[in-house]
Amino acid sequence: MTKRIALTVLALSFLIPFGVLIYLSVSTQWYYPSLISHPFTLSNWQSFLDGQSGVFKSTGLSLFISLMVSTIATSSGFFISRSLVYHTKSRWWLVSAYFPYVIAPVVLAVMLNFYFLQLGLSGTVFGVMAAQLLITLPYAIILFYGFWNRNVRNLENLVGTLGGSFTDKVRHAIFPLAKGLLVVCFFQCFLISWFEYGLTQFIGTGKVETLTIMVYRFVAESNPYLAALAGTVLIIPPIMLLIVNRKIIFKKEWSF
Amino acid sequence: MIEIKDLSKSYGSEKVLNRLEFSHVRHQTLSILGESGSGKSTLLKIMAGLEDADDGDIQINGDSVIHLEPKERGTVYLYQEPLLFPHLTVKENIGFGLRFRDTTPVEIKNRSLDLIERLKLTSQMDKYPHQLSGGQKQRVAFGRAVIIHPSVLLLDEPFASLDPGTRQEMQLLFSEIAKTEKITSLFVTHDIREALMTGNRFGMMINGKLKIYESRDAFIDDSATGVKEEIEFWKKLS
Repeated sequence: MTKRIALTVLALSFLIPFGVLIYLSVSTQWYYPSLISHPFTLSNWQSFLDGQSGVFKSTGLSLFISLMVSTIATSSGFFISRSLVYHTKSRWWLVSAYFPYVIAPVVLAVMLNFYFLQLGLSGTVFGVMAAQLLITLPYAIILFYGFWNRNVRNLENLVGTLGGSFTDKVRHAIFPLAKGLLVVCFFQCFLISWFEYGLTQFIGTGKVETLTIMVYRFVAESNPYLAALAGTVLIIPPIMLLIVNRKIIFKKEWSF
Repeated sequence: MIEIKDLSKSYGSEKVLNRLEFSHVRHQTLSILGESGSGKSTLLKIMAGLEDADDGDIQINGDSVIHLEPKERGTVYLYQEPLLFPHLTVKENIGFGLRFRDTTPVEIKNRSLDLIERLKLTSQMDKYPHQLSGGQKQRVAFGRAVIIHPSVLLLDEPFASLDPGTRQEMQLLFSEIAKTEKITSLFVTHDIREALMTGNRFGMMINGKLKIYESRDAFIDDSATGVKEEIEFWKKLS
């Protein structure tokens, strides 16, 4: 009984804020002391779909940045960590991967701003992606570092002696073994990138308007209704990704 | 025919293989006895291409394979642990190596099912590795190695982790399949009885060199192998 109550409280603590966001997104005038908003309207969502509010464009841009960043970070981090474990003896490479987490992202952005300006990346989408990779790539390397153990290496060698190439090793041995971890890493990197604010704002110089930046902008403009709309849209992709994740993990690769 | 010439390998200042030389004929099993750390596993790993030799040459059927990639050597290395792919069933594990050859799916299926029957794994063929016993796992690993008809099968104490009963069962199974499939193999062990049961030729690894015996009797008679000592022990006990 206690467990059921605890679970209900937990579920409500997740659902209520989401419900309030949806409620606010269909409101235009909700002032104290009214208990409910009046009138309900879909005008905010219409402006989202017809692109007037800029939220639709920001959603597309955020999706592009987050998908690219998480794909690059996951795939690169996977193979970089393999090289670190197999081909380096010094642990300093791994220690250096913790560097971006020792200092705050914004401080890191200030430190790196000179280089971004010199390279002409400041205020560009690629600049924001590069900045986000500075956080997500080390994260992926740290996450995958523990995966490469003697057992995995022996399995790789086994595929080799059975006649498989490096691609076969990756496709038939490493990838199926790491599938769950790869999905987790991709999902985590996607979330880091999707909700990233400090670095994006600083390196993007306000020109790269991701969805998170839009939410903060609407909040700063005291527009809770559009902020709620952007906030609702902000939550949808991670939920969809979570559903897709399960299907990818449980899909069988080969059989006869 | 396998020819090993002047094979050397050192780890730092420790010389593991010291200008090792021997030859081995086709369709025979060479049992190599030796203590832990005597270089038995290193020899097999170098032959499989999983480690590099410092010097020397390896020839299989007249061709030097020392600079070839593991996949090009035609050797299969069987580990002490079964090392099955956890995401594949028994039949998929056994047929795994055939995927890298010009084998049709129908042929993969037929050959796998045939071997599964001979390995007495028919009732287990749709199970995953975590659902198998140690002996069953080792049978699958053995089947996966044998099915591709390797030029040389390299067995590195494959039954060491099994209980005595299962171990004996596996030794008999190996001898039977090695004979019927005409497998050329090197069987490394530190168990005297296992060496005698599985091999038709015998060798002893001492100080980075491999001593090959002319016959089974010569192997038994050499005090360095410890076979006589073992026989005396059992005689006294009975």
